[in-house]
Amino acid sequence: MRAERLLSAYTWGFLIFMFAPLLLMVLSSVNDISPPSVTEWQGLTGKWYAFFWMPEDALRTDEVLRTLDRERFVGCFGNSLYVAAFVVPLSLLLGLAGAVLLTRWRSRVNGLLWWVLLSPMLAPGIVLGLSALVFWGRLGVNAGLFTIIMAQTTFVAGYPMLVLMARLQRQPIELEEAALDLGATPFRVFWRLTLPYLAPALISAGVIAFMASMENYNTTMFAKGGACTFATEIGAMARNPNGHPPVINAVGTIIIVLTVMAATAHTLLARREAQA
Amino acid sequence: MRGKDVRLEGVAITYPNGFTAVQPTDLRIEAGEFFSILGPSGCGKTTILRAVSGFVEPSAGRILIGDEDQRGKGPNARPTALIFQNLALFPLMPVWENVAFGLEARGLSRRARRDKAQELLELVALPEQADKKPGELSGGQRQRVAIARALAVEPAVLLLDEPLSALDLKLRQHMRAELRAIQQKTGVTFIYITHDQGEALTMSDRVAVMNKGVIEQVGSTDDIYSAPHSAFVASFVGEVNQFAGRIVESFGAMAQIETAHGRLLGRNPARLAKGTAAILFVRPEQVGFGARFNNCFDARLLRRDLEGAFVNYQIETSTGAHLSLHQTNTGAVPVTVGEPCHVGFDSGAGLLLPEGPVARTGAEVAAQ
Repeated sequence: MRAERLLSAYTWGFLIFMFAPLLLMVLSSVNDISPPSVTEWQGLTGKWYAFFWMPEDALRTDEVLRTLDRERFVGCFGNSLYVAAFVVPLSLLLGLAGAVLLTRWRSRVNGLLWWVLLSPMLAPGIVLGLSALVFWGRLGVNAGLFTIIMAQTTFVAGYPMLVLMARLQRQPIELEEAALDLGATPFRVFWRLTLPYLAPALISAGVIAFMASMENYNTTMFAKGGACTFATEIGAMARNPNGHPPVINAVGTIIIVLTVMAATAHTLLARREAQA
Repeated sequence: MRGKDVRLEGVAITYPNGFTAVQPTDLRIEAGEFFSILGPSGCGKTTILRAVSGFVEPSAGRILIGDEDQRGKGPNARPTALIFQNLALFPLMPVWENVAFGLEARGLSRRARRDKAQELLELVALPEQADKKPGELSGGQRQRVAIARALAVEPAVLLLDEPLSALDLKLRQHMRAELRAIQQKTGVTFIYITHDQGEALTMSDRVAVMNKGVIEQVGSTDDIYSAPHSAFVASFVGEVNQFAGRIVESFGAMAQIETAHGRLLGRNPARLAKGTAAILFVRPEQVGFGARFNNCFDARLLRRDLEGAFVNYQIETSTGAHLSLHQTNTGAVPVTVGEPCHVGFDSGAGLLLPEGPVARTGAEVAAQ
C-alpha cells in the first residue's frame, strides 16, 4: 500500500517535471508581454501567433514585433523543409540498405558493422557537423544547405535502420526463400515481398527522420555556414539579450499541438487496424 | 505436368561449421514417384531436400534432375518447388496472387495468372477463396493454397518438408489422401520429408529411412515395415519389441538367440553366424496370448489401453522384460490387469538383425 502511494507520487512528480514547463510555455504564448512571462499577466492576446500572417502595417505598429525579421524566419523554415526533403529519402535509402544488410547477410563482421553503421548516431553532433564542414571544405564545397544535408544524413540514417531492422527480423526468412524457389529474382522478391512488408515501418521511419532533421541544432549549427534553418533561427532568437520574443512560445505551442494530433491519429489508426 | 527422376550421385553435405549433415549418398528417385524420406529430427533429411531445391550446394557429388546436372543453379532456376514446413504463404497477397506468384516471375499477364490460379484452386478444392488473405483461411485450406502455389510453376519435382505437421490428426489423415490423389492426378515426382512413419507408409510408393546423415534403407513401404535391414529401421518404423543377445544356433533361414529372457527363435535373413551379437525384433501385433507359440513367456498383464479399433496390452514377463501386444478389439477381454498369463510369438514373426544403434523410444525422447 505504501509502495503504491510512493509509486503514484513519483509518477505525478515525473509528469509535473515533464509537462509544467510546456504548460508555462503555452500560457505565456497568449500573454501580452515580452519577454514572455506567466507571473505578470497583461491580458490575453493572439498576436504572437498572428505575427506570421498579419499585414505589414499592423506589424510595424507593434514595438516588439517590428524588431523581428519575419521574412528571414519564414525563409529559414523553408530551408528546413528543403533540407528535410533530401535528408528523409536519403536516410530511408541508406537505412533500408543497412537494415537489409544486417538482417539478411549473415557474416562474422555483422556485430562490428552494426556499431560502425550506428556510430554517427552515438557520436556527439558537433563532431559530425565539424567533420562535414572540414571534409566538404577540403573538396571545395562551401558550407551551406548542401553540407547541412550531408551532415544530417550521416546520423539520421541510423533511425530508419533501427526501425526497419526490427521489422525485418520479424519476417520469416522462409517467405523470401519460397519466393526465390518459385522462380523470382532477388529483385522481384524485394519488390513484391520485402518492400510491401516494410511499408508501415518505412512510413514511421520517415516521420522519425523528418522530425530528427527538423529539430536538429548542434550538427546543423556547425555545418550551416551562412545558411539558417528553423532550429538554428529559433536558437538565434532565443539568444536575444533582452529576452526572447513570445513568438517562439507560439511556435512551440503549435509544434506541441501538431505532435499531439499526430500521436492521436496514429493511435486511432492503429486501433482501427487492430480491429479490422 | 510430368515428373522427372532425381538422382543423387555421391552427394555429401558439410556445413561451414564442420558438421556433416549428409554422408556420401547415392539415391535414385523415379519420375512420377511418391518418395518419402523418413527419419528422426536432425538426421539430414531436410538438408537433402534443401540441396535438391538449390538452397544448399552439396560439398561433394552432384544432383541430377531428369539427367540435367543442377550444380551452380539457384533455387529459382531449378524445375523444383518446395512446400515449407510453415507453408510460407505471403500474408499480404490474396490467395490467388499467392498461387500465381511463380507465374508473375515468368511474365504472364494478370488475366492469364488469374485464370491459371483459378484452375489450380479448383484442383485443390478451394475455388471460392481466391480473394481472401491467407490469414483468413483454416489450416487445411492454407495447406492447399501452398500446394496450388507450388504446382502453379509446373515443377517436375515437388518437395514437401513435413507440411502436415501443424495440422490436427483428423485433418492430417484427410490431407494424406488428398496429397496422394493430387500426386497421382498430376504425375509430378513428390519427395516428402517426414519423421512420422504413418505418413510415410500411407502415402509413399517407396521410402528411404535415414539416420545420422546416412540412408539406412530404401524400399517399398511393405519392405520397410516387414523386412527392415537394420536395427535402426526396425526400431524407428512402427512399434517393436526388442530382445538383444547372441546367436547360439543357426540353421538356414532361422536362428536361435540367447537373451536375458531365454532362448528365442526367429528368422535370420542376414544369415548371422553363431556367436554374432544380434537383436530379435517382433511387432506388437505379432505377439499373442496363450501358450501355443514356439517363443513363449510366463507373464503378467500390467496395463490395458483401449485405442478404439485396437487394444494395446503392456506385459511384463517373469524375467522382467516389457512387451507390447496389440490386438484388434473384438470385445472380448482375454486377461484382466494384474493377472498372470502366457504370451508369445511364432518364430516366423521374430526377425534377427545384427546389433546396431536403435531409435530412441518415446520415453527417451521425452526425458531429453
